[in-house]
Amino acid sequence: MYFRKSIIAITGLFLCLFLIVHLSANSILVLPQEVARGLYNSYSTTLRESPFIKIVAYILYLSIVLHVIYALVVTVNNRKAKRKGYAVNRFRENSSWTSQNMGLLGITVLLFIVVHLANFWARIKLGLGEGVGLDSEGHVDVYKVTYSLFQNSYYVLFYSLLMIPLGLHLYHGLKSAFMTLGFYHKKGLRILAKVSLIYAGIMALGFGIIPIIVFFK
Amino acid sequence: MKVIFKIWRQENTNTKGNFQSYEVDELTEDMSFLEALDHLNEVLVTKNEKTIAYEYDCREGICGQCGVFINGRAHGPHDNMTTCQLHMRSFRDGETIVVEPWRASAFPIVKDLVVDRSSFDNIIEQGAYISAKTGTAPEANSILVRKEIVDKAMDAAACIGCGACVATCKNSSAALFTSAKINHLNSLPQGKQEASKRVLEMTKQMELEGFGSCTFTGACEVECPEGISIINIAEMNARRTKAKWIG
Repeated sequence: MYFRKSIIAITGLFLCLFLIVHLSANSILVLPQEVARGLYNSYSTTLRESPFIKIVAYILYLSIVLHVIYALVVTVNNRKAKRKGYAVNRFRENSSWTSQNMGLLGITVLLFIVVHLANFWARIKLGLGEGVGLDSEGHVDVYKVTYSLFQNSYYVLFYSLLMIPLGLHLYHGLKSAFMTLGFYHKKGLRILAKVSLIYAGIMALGFGIIPIIVFFK
Repeated sequence: MKVIFKIWRQENTNTKGNFQSYEVDELTEDMSFLEALDHLNEVLVTKNEKTIAYEYDCREGICGQCGVFINGRAHGPHDNMTTCQLHMRSFRDGETIVVEPWRASAFPIVKDLVVDRSSFDNIIEQGAYISAKTGTAPEANSILVRKEIVDKAMDAAACIGCGACVATCKNSSAALFTSAKINHLNSLPQGKQEASKRVLEMTKQMELEGFGSCTFTGACEVECPEGISIINIAEMNARRTKAKWIG
């Protein structure tokens, strides 16, 4: 139980760190068209060619897989611990909806990740589907892939709306990961709760608003 | 005052239970919840029907026997309270009150609202004590302990083992109970000698008993009659990691 929960916490925290880097890179997209294209494409080329990033990418894939598998195992175990629920359960009076539904939120985020990987990772890294051209500087035109995807209002809606469950998952996940790993400083935990809220807010808002900005560019 | 009790009836662990409704009249707002159940049982006796099984002992909020799930909350609608301290004035006249036993695989139902909490005893047996012979009570100042440590240990020691934490937890986790017992003794000088063994064996037993894992929903600390904080669980996790890797 401890080992499993610790794996979920450690991989979760790594994914939290990854999201900061991801959002920083995404913020390039709000710049004026041509500046954004140049910067975004050269940035993604640098990432793809770096051996260090290659290792980090594998750690990232492994983190997602482990986070999901162990969450599933723990959830199955938890269900066994409470085979029958209550006819009436007013859990909203003693805890947040978010904390009670991390599994549901997680599955929603996972669905998002699958679509997101199919949209970008599969096309750019695996070369599946429609081919990706080069920009004027000879870099793979990742910007065009992003830009054209977010001309479709359904994708904009999907990408923006699903940042709500992501934000909620991060808000509870970040603070409880620290507690799972044994952080029990009273004042520190109060600060951590605020940090989690701010972090989750920035992530959800940041990732959610960029597709809308790109759509209206 | 009149209420409708919708109560879980189950003959024994192996039979299937179901809800039965009882309209109970002649109650007063000043009656405790248990007195209202007593009254219902008296009525059932006069009708020659089977009485409802529920547990209680002290009826003053310190023994932890009277745990039941009332209208979707452990120990009823108020935070940090035992069932015996709940009064009928907390309900509306004519209200339907749903009463269920604690639900957890580690707490099998014995009969009606009574569950078997032996799994808690099994955890206790793995180290919620010190094995040194202490003799008679020593002079209080012979072992000096810092005030904030005493306070922390006593806050954890307040746990009465009622099981509300397990009952309310969506995973039926016993983390709050176990952490309270561990932190109580591991904080104090008398408990230090067996600190590592205690935390490792008690947490291991907690898993063996079939309790779920802690997700930090915080529901337990709201329902705990003693208001024991979930920070205890984080501290137990830290103690466990230290015991496991450092010793």
